[in-house]
Amino acid sequence: MQTDNRKKLIELRNLRKIYRVGTELVHALRGVTLSIHENEFVAIMGPSGSGKSTLMNILGCLDVPTEGDYFLAGEDVAKLSQSGLARIRGRQIGFVFQNFELLPRMTALKNVQLPLMYSQLPKSKQRAIAALEMVGLADRAKHRPNQLSGGQRQRVAIARALAQQPAIILADEPTGNLDTKTGNEIMAVFDMLHGAGQTIIIVTHEPDIAMRCKRVVTLRDGLVSSDTVPSEGLESVESQRIAS
Amino acid sequence: MTARLLARANALRIRLGTTALRHASNITTAFSQIWANKGRSLLTTLGIIIAVTAIITVVAFVQGFGDYMSKMLRGYGTKQMIVRSWTPQDEDAFGMGRVTLDMDDVRAVAAECPHISRITPFIFTETDVSYGRAKATQIAVRGVSEDYQVIRNYYADAGRFFGPIDVENSENVCVLGRTMLKLLECDESVIGEHILIRDQRFRVVGILQTKGSFMGEDQDQTVMIPYSTALNLYTSQREDLRFLCEASDEKFINEAEGELTRVLRRRHKLEPGTQNDFQVQRQDQMLKQFDKIRMAVTALLAGIVSISLIVGGIGIMNVMFVSVTERTKEIGLRKSVGARRRDILAQFLTEAVVLSTTGGGIGIALGYAFTYVASLHPKMVDISVPMWSVALATGFSLGAGMLFGILPAFKASILHPIDALRHE
Repeated sequence: MQTDNRKKLIELRNLRKIYRVGTELVHALRGVTLSIHENEFVAIMGPSGSGKSTLMNILGCLDVPTEGDYFLAGEDVAKLSQSGLARIRGRQIGFVFQNFELLPRMTALKNVQLPLMYSQLPKSKQRAIAALEMVGLADRAKHRPNQLSGGQRQRVAIARALAQQPAIILADEPTGNLDTKTGNEIMAVFDMLHGAGQTIIIVTHEPDIAMRCKRVVTLRDGLVSSDTVPSEGLESVESQRIAS
Repeated sequence: MTARLLARANALRIRLGTTALRHASNITTAFSQIWANKGRSLLTTLGIIIAVTAIITVVAFVQGFGDYMSKMLRGYGTKQMIVRSWTPQDEDAFGMGRVTLDMDDVRAVAAECPHISRITPFIFTETDVSYGRAKATQIAVRGVSEDYQVIRNYYADAGRFFGPIDVENSENVCVLGRTMLKLLECDESVIGEHILIRDQRFRVVGILQTKGSFMGEDQDQTVMIPYSTALNLYTSQREDLRFLCEASDEKFINEAEGELTRVLRRRHKLEPGTQNDFQVQRQDQMLKQFDKIRMAVTALLAGIVSISLIVGGIGIMNVMFVSVTERTKEIGLRKSVGARRRDILAQFLTEAVVLSTTGGGIGIALGYAFTYVASLHPKMVDISVPMWSVALATGFSLGAGMLFGILPAFKASILHPIDALRHE
């Protein structure tokens, strides 16, 4: 694991999540300890059932852990109330989803403005336009989602995530619904944002995508099984996953 | 210090600005949602539309007819009384003998009641009237004194009303209402001519001013003759007379009634503690009674209308539940970008209220339209929509939206963001 003197943004300590499905208890996370620093570009991998979705939900403050600590920018968010979580989601986290999740009846601009409306930040229109400019879609501001291509839609979604300048961008399979070429374009946008200092976490099961990140965390059976820098290429990530 | 204050003021301004933006956004979202589901929204609000249309139209009609009636009653003057004989219904009535009211009573009242300024006996019959070959059947023939024209505002505008001498001499003279000219196929030249009333010759001395119709009754279809002449024609009414009197002023109406009651009781030798053997009907009391009936009718209609409003509200609740289910994903997304429970609650409540008030607006417009169309009818009384009924209808539809929107909105607000996002 790399040593880092940058500011710690996320700190998970012995995180556990237990679901009750019918009469059975499902241990989705069995004690995850993980730190992510400012301006990191992290991929979270793992087969289905490894707990990566659960981890993402907790990282995104959509859910709270059963046990353990979660510090986000120094704030203990594991014990926050519903509206406290909503506030964190609005101000600190920008979500990017696999199927974009744009509201169909709103223009691209209005979609990007949506989080700003809830976080009550001033000058929401200027901020939204700036975010659209960053993803290169300022000229599509008045278009509705159905007038945009898949790649453009995902870029609008990224602009929406960027609009309130969140601490982290949390992307859940952002290229999952796109062809390889468009997927690469989206990854290029993430590269660019990372270059501009943005902290990005991508949850994916595609090794190609993970390889383009600067750090790969692999989960298995609710535990971190590996945490590597993919400098040696895809093979090493894969081999580590198999070895663990 | 000043800088900090300024900063705080600025922060507040921004906060208010963004809050206003959120409300504005809720409203535009609501409208675009309604527009996207035009058919469904229309059917849903139909209940509210019908209820509000009913409120507006019914209130306009009740108000219009009510105003017309009170104006009419007021037009008669609120200082009038009608006196008629009346047989008490309980055991006091035994041994009372025959109940009568005759000209001696009328004369006594006229002479002994200082607060009664005008008095006229009133004999009402329906009979045939003819002039030459023209014949009119079932015409209201009234036997009155010359005071009647002042009490009831029947003035002659051609010829003259009959005077006290005609009454004293029981002359066979008459005045005609304007409709009678049509029925008898003649014009104002009939003055001085003779017509037949119950086969007796009467000289026409005047034509009355047009009064119009009241409650579907043509007030100009009438013939007036001196009461003394009428009593000669209808002798049975001599002992069962009705009479009309007028107090010298509205504020003396109670005194006038007291005087009249004392005179009649004395003349009829009624023991103290027994009931009157006559009935006094006061115009001002009729007006009060009428207002009471009007209130009751309005309340009854309001009750019926509020039931349809509840039905309309339930329709809105239903469609809002459907909308919440359809848009579960949207709710999940909104929550994931920072919407709190209260934000979602406000959004869906706004939508329900927009839906119900839009329905209310359509209903108000329809109500106005119906009222306008009805007012075009030539025989219609003056009707207009009072502002308070518009306010009431707006308030009701707003309230219905709130009341029936709260449950679906609450259901939306407590959705778990993850479950909502995964919803297909």
